Amino acid sequence: MSTINFAAREINFKLVYYGPGLSGKTTNLKQIHAHVPVESKGEMVSLQTEDERTLFFDFLPLDLGKVNGFKTRFHLYTVPGQVFYNASRRLILRGVDGVVFVADSAPNRLRANAESLRNLRENLAEHGLSLGDLPYVIQLNKRDLADALPVDMIRAVLDPDGVAPLFEAVAQRHVGVIEPLKAVSKLVLEKLAQRA
Amino acid sequence: MLEPSLDLYGEAAERVEGLLVDLLTQSRARYALLIDRQGFVILHRRAAWAPKPPSLDSLATLIASNHSANEAIAQLFGEASFRETVQQSDGVGTYVESVGDKALLVTVFDASAPLGKVKLFTKRALERIQAVLEETREAAPVADIGGSFSVHAGALLDELFGDGKTP
Repeated sequence: MSTINFAAREINFKLVYYGPGLSGKTTNLKQIHAHVPVESKGEMVSLQTEDERTLFFDFLPLDLGKVNGFKTRFHLYTVPGQVFYNASRRLILRGVDGVVFVADSAPNRLRANAESLRNLRENLAEHGLSLGDLPYVIQLNKRDLADALPVDMIRAVLDPDGVAPLFEAVAQRHVGVIEPLKAVSKLVLEKLAQRA
Repeated sequence: MLEPSLDLYGEAAERVEGLLVDLLTQSRARYALLIDRQGFVILHRRAAWAPKPPSLDSLATLIASNHSANEAIAQLFGEASFRETVQQSDGVGTYVESVGDKALLVTVFDASAPLGKVKLFTKRALERIQAVLEETREAAPVADIGGSFSVHAGALLDELFGDGKTP
């Protein structure tokens, strides 16, 4: 949940990029880090294995500036996508304010997308949260694949009710990276306004 | 939902800052930080002689995550958590104590500060910080975080990301 630090006059939000292994979560953070002005970002931290797969998480702090006298910041995290790192994924969801679900458009990853989303629901439940209560958007990555599945087909599997905002992306080329981040950030702010 | 990371503000925050300074003076440690368990820095102090610290955001995030991972390991053995977390290299070390269930007290030290001294004064600082938190159970000040906060923050998002379209 969002936290307010009266001592330092800061308000902090935590956004988590979730999704199956190799769907492009780390690539999203790298692209954001590369394109956000220096004064608005901190260091990016990546805890990776030797073959550059995420072991624990990637972390990128973004500084929005002062709002009503409070320094306002978004902390962006990725989770490790590989199935056997579930304990790490559960830990990283602690205190989450919003989720970008990064889905892979490759035909052979449709099932992995669905399993990762189910895993997200289960891990959120461990923290007493549900996707229905949480600001949440879907990014369909790797839309440049020759055999990318149709958007409607992936949506039918991941979000049949059409509830979550959906964005097409080619994260490696910085296409469709900023839109989901901005959308989930605004949803988090809207939710804060509703509850305040 | 917007929750205080810790019920710490005003005079209480100043007193805790003073305790962090005492901790640094007595233990000869480099940096003392109070962070919340999500990895956000609440308060921090640096010894006058200490070199510039690394990114505090990164440090706090890694320490909070490491602490959570250690707790999960302890729970595999039926324990709630490990009693203490110490990490030491040739040049630098960290010592972490829980402050209730919301925060962590982190002492970063180098070879000039004996570990025993760091532990002793960190535990002493912890007791005093907890005493301050017990004493100051006032209502948290009200922050203007209603609609106007979201509107202003949304405007800053627009400024930072433009129309959100990738060039």
